[in-house]
This record gives sequence, C-alpha cells and structure tokens, in this order.
Amino acid sequence: MGDSFSGDSARKKAEFVSEVVNHTLHDLVIRCTKTEEVRNYYHVSVIGYGRTVSTCFSGPLAARDMVPISEVADFPLQVKSSYKRVSDGAGSWVEIPVRYPVWIHPAADGKTPMCEALIRVKDILQRWLAQHPRGFPPTILHLTDGESSDGDPDEIGRQIMSLGTDDGPVLLFNCHISTRRSAKIEYPTEETSLPDGFARSLFAISSRLPTNFLAAAAQLGVHALEGSRGFVFNGDPSSIVQFYEIGTSLTGMTPYKWMDDIDRSELT
Amino acid sequence: MSSAKQSATWDLQLRQLLLPKLDHDASECEDAIAFDIHTARFAVTDGATEAFSAREWASKLAEHWVRNESTLTLEEFRKWVATEGRELHDSWNGLTLSWYSEEKARTGSFAAFVGIELDLKTATPSWRAIALGDACLIHCRGGALLKSLPLSRSESFNSAPVLVASNSALHESTMQSVVVDSGNCENGDVLLLMSDAAAAWCLRRFEDGDFDADFLTAKDDEELRRFFDEERQAGRIRNDDLAIVRIEIKRRIN
Repeated sequence: MGDSFSGDSARKKAEFVSEVVNHTLHDLVIRCTKTEEVRNYYHVSVIGYGRTVSTCFSGPLAARDMVPISEVADFPLQVKSSYKRVSDGAGSWVEIPVRYPVWIHPAADGKTPMCEALIRVKDILQRWLAQHPRGFPPTILHLTDGESSDGDPDEIGRQIMSLGTDDGPVLLFNCHISTRRSAKIEYPTEETSLPDGFARSLFAISSRLPTNFLAAAAQLGVHALEGSRGFVFNGDPSSIVQFYEIGTSLTGMTPYKWMDDIDRSELT
Repeated sequence: MSSAKQSATWDLQLRQLLLPKLDHDASECEDAIAFDIHTARFAVTDGATEAFSAREWASKLAEHWVRNESTLTLEEFRKWVATEGRELHDSWNGLTLSWYSEEKARTGSFAAFVGIELDLKTATPSWRAIALGDACLIHCRGGALLKSLPLSRSESFNSAPVLVASNSALHESTMQSVVVDSGNCENGDVLLLMSDAAAAWCLRRFEDGDFDADFLTAKDDEELRRFFDEERQAGRIRNDDLAIVRIEIKRRIN
C-alpha cells in the first residue's frame, strides 16, 4: 500500500487506511463509553500483512492478538489534540478541542500474503470462539490492495466463514482498493457483474450483509440489497470509510459518521 | 397507588413503575419518572445508554420539566432544553477526563422525552403533550387505544430515534421531530406514559387486541415487577429499563 490513490494526491494509501482504522477504533471506544467507563462490548484484533503477517498494535498492546475495547481505549500510542469548527446552534461557529488517538501507524510493503494472513485470522478466531461460544459472531473487515501473492484464498476464506457462535456464522467482508481509475463495484448480489477471476474469488469468500448491516448501508446512502455481499472491488477512499462504518454498525446502531473529520480533498 | 385531588370535579389516580434492565441495579436505570400534582405535569424520560451522563440528563429533564408552567410549545421547549443542556455541560467543567470521556462529553447527552400537562379545572378535562424520541403517551378509553404519540405502531420503534440532545448545536435538526399535541378526556380515561420497551409492548398488545389498561391496578408492586421480569425473560418485552406512569381520570363522587 505504498502507492497513492488515483488522482493528483501524493498521499499514500497506507496513511489513509491507517487513519480510517484509527477513526474506527476511536468510534468503537466512544460507542462503548458510558460516562467514564468503557464497557467491553467488543474485542478487537488488527492484523496487517505485507513483508510479514502480524498484529498492528504496538506499545503496551504489542503482540496482542485480541484486545478488549477498554484496553484499546486506555493504550493509544498517542493522543493528538486539535480544534474543530462546529455550529454553536445559534447561527455562529465555535472552535472546540478534539482528540485524535493513534494506535496504528501506516506501513506498506510490496507483498500480499493474503492466505497466510487469513490463516492467522482463523487461528485468532478459533481461540476467541472457544471462549465466547455465545457471543455476537465476529466480523472480519479485510482490506487489500491487490491479489494474493501466496495462493488462492478461497479455501481458507471458506473455512473462516464456516466458523461461528450460537448466534450465527462469522462474517467475512472484503474490500479491494485500487489505484486505477476502474469503476468501483460495491456490495454486489451476484458475481456476473465482476470483471475478472480475482474479483470473483473475493466475492466467493464474502458473507451476505445481514439485515442490520443493510440498514446501516442505507443510512449512509450506500446502495445495498437483500443478498448483497460484504464486498467492494476497486474501492476509492469513500468506499473504505463506508466499508468500515457499515462493517462496525452492529445491532442496528446508527453508523458513526466521521467522514467529515477526514479531509478528503487531499485524497483524490 | 396514590390519589390526587385536582379539582372539585376530577380526581387523578396514579400508578408508577420504574424497573432497571434484568440483572441490573436500580442505580443503573437510565429511565426517569417525575410528576408534580400541583402543576398537574408528568414526564417520562429515557437516557440513551451510549450517551455521557445519560442517567443524569434523563432525571434532570423529567424533574425540571414538571416544575415548570410552560415549555409546551416547540419554541419554549427548545429554549428550555438549551438552558438545561448548558447547565449540564457546565457541571462537567473542571472534571479531569480521559480522552474518550472528554470526546463523549463533547457530544453531550441524549434522552427520549414525553411530558404532559393536565387541565382539570373545566367540565371537560384535557391534556397537552410534548414529546421527542420514543417515550410515548398512550391515551386509552374504555379499553381501546385512542391515541399514541410520538409513535403509534409497535413496528415504529427502532434503535436510532431522534432524542433530546443536551448539546444545543444539535437542536436545529433534532427539534424538527418534536411532537406537540393535545386531547380531551372523559371519566375513566387512562393516560399511560411509557419508555420505549414498555410502549412498544403495549402497542403490540393493542394491535393484537390483547391489552387491558386496568392490569396495572390489579397487581401490587411486587406482582407487577415479577410480571414484567417474566415478560422480559420471555423476550416479549425487550430487556430494557421500564418506566410506566398510569393516570386514571375519575369524576369525583360527592
């Protein structure tokens, strides 16, 4: 992910993706915050793959495969402070302080060991599922910028999708991002619309979007239908943001919209 | 149950019930009930679980609203909520908060609200109501549903209603959803104020032709608690805090 999105920006995809992941973690923490306590409604794992396959957490969370959200909250690598202009509700604007915690730094490498990464994910899931057989089924938000460099991910993808809890199967959603100006395909219902074998292979290992996720997509203005797969091909920056917003909108919650916090003018 | 003499002609019989979620302490309940017999005002509020100081905001709205004598028009309500919200946010000044609590506090608190004021001084008693969110007023007559607001169907309840925000920056959009209404009462009419889970259950029972507004008076407090615990355990009522106020309007027998 060392190259940039199509267009004039020199900004790296990896920087943007790390920003989106940091926003997503921020969102999950805020959702679980009850006044001064963070409740462990979620456990989070962030796995990156390139030269190696490893957890992206560092600092106090280094080497942790799965972290309760309260610990994620307490151990960002840094918390940036800034100001944001908001309406005061009476026709004027005020600047208010905001905090941007950072857990993940951008990293990029030329390789795409997708199979090895998914094997690692399956291992983490199996350990978690053994301890939480009745939990809400885990959701995997898999983001890639290219084809697998270590084989066909179909089998390991299907193995992951066969896992589950008493409440349902594990959900595997895939978002492919592109540096080309090819048309993006978001949440298709069938593979006939897909341009090539790589797209079809990711489609095959993408779960159908359950009703709650469809509702979240609708709230974001994203076109998704009954039967849509959690799959994006040739995604652009907006696709990535929406993919994470939809993928973390559990139990019918309103998606936490922070897209406006990201200055997208720098990205296209 | 309590009885309040409101006028030479009309009595009010009141019953209230406030229950936390199953397996939760009363101190965790984010629903609130308030009423003031002198102002004939009643309120039920439901603090949004995800919000900062939801319990405090819900209680503040309910308790302060029943002490007022107006705020039954949208403009009055908006000004009043802005004042209450400022007070709440000011009370957080000086607190040392973690980054996430600070972020949460910046967004503010949210609660569903329904408040009614009764006029019992005339031959035809009446109510005026103001509501935002999914806490409901349900007006029953002779066992039938006469009116329900701001929601009138059980399927209308979802997890993302527009709520009363403590942060006035959000009022421009949220206050457009406020419902203001009024109605007349007859002898024996029952007004129910309910937070969302109870209201959804109640409306579903009406839709199924299976609701008896008198059941709230036929059981003592412990029986009612057991009844609602069983309903929640069986999944017929969502496992949520429950706030119910039953007001029966009775002609005085002289």
